[in-house]
Amino acid sequence: MADAALWIMVVILAVVIVVLLALLKRVLKAATSIPPKIDAIAGVAAAASKDLDAVAVLLTTQGYIKSIRASVLNYGGSLDAALPDY
Amino acid sequence: MEIQVAIIILLVAVIIATLAIFLAATILQLFKINAGLSVVLPLVGQIVAKTNPVNPVVDDINAQLVVTRDALENLMLKKAGPDSAGLVESLFPGEGTKFLRRVGRSGKVVNVGTVYTRGVGILAGLGRGAPIGVAHTKGPAVRDPRYSTTEAAKLYPAPPDRRDPTQNIPKAPVIGNDPVHSPYEAALTPGTRTRDAQGNKIEAPPPEPAPAPTGKIEVAPSSSAEGSAAPTQPDQPSRPGRMSAKGTRPWER
Repeated sequence: MADAALWIMVVILAVVIVVLLALLKRVLKAATSIPPKIDAIAGVAAAASKDLDAVAVLLTTQGYIKSIRASVLNYGGSLDAALPDY
Repeated sequence: MEIQVAIIILLVAVIIATLAIFLAATILQLFKINAGLSVVLPLVGQIVAKTNPVNPVVDDINAQLVVTRDALENLMLKKAGPDSAGLVESLFPGEGTKFLRRVGRSGKVVNVGTVYTRGVGILAGLGRGAPIGVAHTKGPAVRDPRYSTTEAAKLYPAPPDRRDPTQNIPKAPVIGNDPVHSPYEAALTPGTRTRDAQGNKIEAPPPEPAPAPTGKIEVAPSSSAEGSAAPTQPDQPSRPGRMSAKGTRPWER
């Protein structure tokens, strides 16, 4: 009777080892796949950050748009004075 | 010790060793992940910092452009009236309907460019022509057929050489340098009048008499002011080939 219990325990431990190996292998595989992706994200983020350096030019564009708006309104006012109304 | 106990001990040892190996490898990967994230996070922070002022700047630019567009559309409505959408449609197909929707109006958009010629559209825009576009093209004429020439003549009441320069009357439009469909034909006898002012045929041109006194004080050129008794030469047309003598007759000067 005691021998049978011991043999059952041996079988259970063998099954546990197999299951444990499968689970740990999956965890390790998932953990291993993360660093390459992080490296790729780092490269993209660096490039995006460098591209966004041109955002400062938007302030210049904003000034240009304001001056162009003033010029267009001046031209429109001149046309308003030059051409008769409908 | 029994064989079963030995196997159990061995299996437990294998389990512990497996756990240790795999956990160590996982911990190593987690360290790599931590190092990678420490590189990525500052870059993401830079992106956030750099894109932070974009929204207000772009909103301001859009507002400026919308104000400019609205001003131009209002000017278009003021100058072209109901033809505005048609003019926009003729230049930018498909934009006439959008133009009407933006200015809060509705109706059918008549493509001015396909209904009228370009010159007519320009004249209508300048306010010199008939109210083009107010009626359908297949409807009755908008302009008065009897007095349409009178209306045109009011624009140019005098030949260019007799206009009052202070009135600043614009020149008549020129339809090309050599129009193909010109209503005028070249004179066969340029400078010779074959009919008088009443339309009667002149058989032979009589010698031109001395000009009758007009009552005006005329300043003669220096060559004729020396008292020569030679008869005055008849006035030659200044522009050979001119079909109408209106404005060149002595009593019209």
